[in-house]
Amino acid sequence: MTDDANIKSRSKRKVELKAISEWISNGEKVLDLGCGRGILLDELTRQKHIYGVGVDTDFDKITYAIKRGVNVYHGDILDALSAFDDNSFDWIICSRTLPELENAREVVMEALRVGKRVAVGFVNHGYWRNRLSYILKGERIVNEVFPSKWDTARPMNPICVNSFKDFCASSDINILRTHFLRGDWETPCKIFPNILSGYAIFEISKKNK
Amino acid sequence: MNDSDSSVYQQEYGGDVGFVTFSDFYCDVPLDFELGGRLDSFNVRYETYGRLNEDKSNAILVCHALTGDHHCAGVYTMKDRKSGWWNNIIGPEKPLDTNKYFVICSNCIGGCRGTTGPSSINPKTGERYNLTFPAVTMRDIVAVQERLITYLGIKKLAMIIGGSMGGMQTLQWAIDFPDRVEKICALATTSRQNAQAIAFNEVGRSAIMQDPVWNGGNYELARVPSVGLGIARMMAHITYLSDKGLDEKFGREHKKIAGNEIFKPSFEIENYLHYQGQSFVNRFDANSYLYFTRALDLFDLRSEGGSLEKAFENVQAKALVVGFTSDWLFPPEQNREIVKALLRIGKTASYAEIKSDLGHDSFLIHSPKLYKLVEYFLND
Repeated sequence: MTDDANIKSRSKRKVELKAISEWISNGEKVLDLGCGRGILLDELTRQKHIYGVGVDTDFDKITYAIKRGVNVYHGDILDALSAFDDNSFDWIICSRTLPELENAREVVMEALRVGKRVAVGFVNHGYWRNRLSYILKGERIVNEVFPSKWDTARPMNPICVNSFKDFCASSDINILRTHFLRGDWETPCKIFPNILSGYAIFEISKKNK
Repeated sequence: MNDSDSSVYQQEYGGDVGFVTFSDFYCDVPLDFELGGRLDSFNVRYETYGRLNEDKSNAILVCHALTGDHHCAGVYTMKDRKSGWWNNIIGPEKPLDTNKYFVICSNCIGGCRGTTGPSSINPKTGERYNLTFPAVTMRDIVAVQERLITYLGIKKLAMIIGGSMGGMQTLQWAIDFPDRVEKICALATTSRQNAQAIAFNEVGRSAIMQDPVWNGGNYELARVPSVGLGIARMMAHITYLSDKGLDEKFGREHKKIAGNEIFKPSFEIENYLHYQGQSFVNRFDANSYLYFTRALDLFDLRSEGGSLEKAFENVQAKALVVGFTSDWLFPPEQNREIVKALLRIGKTASYAEIKSDLGHDSFLIHSPKLYKLVEYFLND
């Protein structure tokens, strides 16, 4: 990645974290699935004095999260979720985690059990630029969000806004709030999010809860 | 704990603490043991590295494993072939940085390396305690360490760290003295041994106790149950390693086996184990081995309140637990569940798992990944 792309990528990540952290209140209990280096939990701990726990499978990222002083659990997400009682966290966050999971449905269901509220954030592959790449080149876009091509990138299931809505509708999941951002991941996207939003965040809960 | 490996791994990180000496803390405040029995006085042998700062806030306690001792870094003389058992992690600019921290390690009560144990003389009788020594538990071991820390004028330890039985001590510390420790770092450990680990301990004890020389624990120090203790060590040593680790190190390498001498140890692994058994007999007391393996068996954090959550209720220390993938003695799962229990009750705790082929002893062996974890956790 070039320096410019690097800065762009980092600022995008910041905006994404800001959007999610706006939903979280002071002193809440937060479980971050796919916490990476623990940046979000670190920020939330400092700004909102939350009790946070992160889960990740990447040893190096876990190491950095420990350097930040964040609570982290190195291991499988489902295994980690199974340790917790129903509703034991105020928030569960899945920020850009679901596309990388083989068992995304199971994880979402477990998250809805363990968390009172669940925030799911993902890159919208229905976004027109992402589509254009498929149409013109026949392959997934390579940019600051996805810097690597298929030969070195982690496996990923592309999600779009509408397919996530369909998933919720067919799985008895309520969508309580949405937050769509344009391609810059900063400007709110008011219309046609499936094609105009670059990043989508959903707050979801279980229907019978 | 391995008798030959530490010198094999070259130092790549930081400096050495250099020459060290041990100290003795003689305590004449009686000690009542958890399972009964009392010592009116006892000795604790320990070593320290680095300097205690003015407000005495930079102390780290290192807890040794089953067959370790207080000598965990540096050398006593130029002639020493080996440094202390955890020299790779303790020293200037190493993870336990002696430029910044004051590192303490003491021999556990019941041991045989200078701290009072079964092989010490009972001042009341003028004879060795042998099996009249009180039963030792992890709680007793930690209670004695707390006396030492208090004697050194330290109110709160910056960190307690240990692997295997040392890891159990870190957990026991956080439970028994919650306001005396800032952080605990437990490596390759468990909150209680499963049947398999107890089984191995019992085979080891049987080898010792069925050695006729053992004589109900009343052997002469000039003639110890070396056959039984040696076999116990050989067997236990296998549990500290792994199939892959052993195969990479020894494979099937062997000398030519003559038809008239087919049972002569010829495979490299055989010679290695015999060497391990022999060198162990020279440095470890058979009765101490019995006492400590029993302390391991009895350690069960669920035994009092019925659950780990209950046991950890009053813990204040921040915890890091590290498991090793190839550890089949205290497998990752047993390390994980400690952290799961802590997190379930809202404590500050982390779990990290290191990929390693070297089995239970992984925590003792050169590992930049472990160094980073420990350093970051200590200084976060």
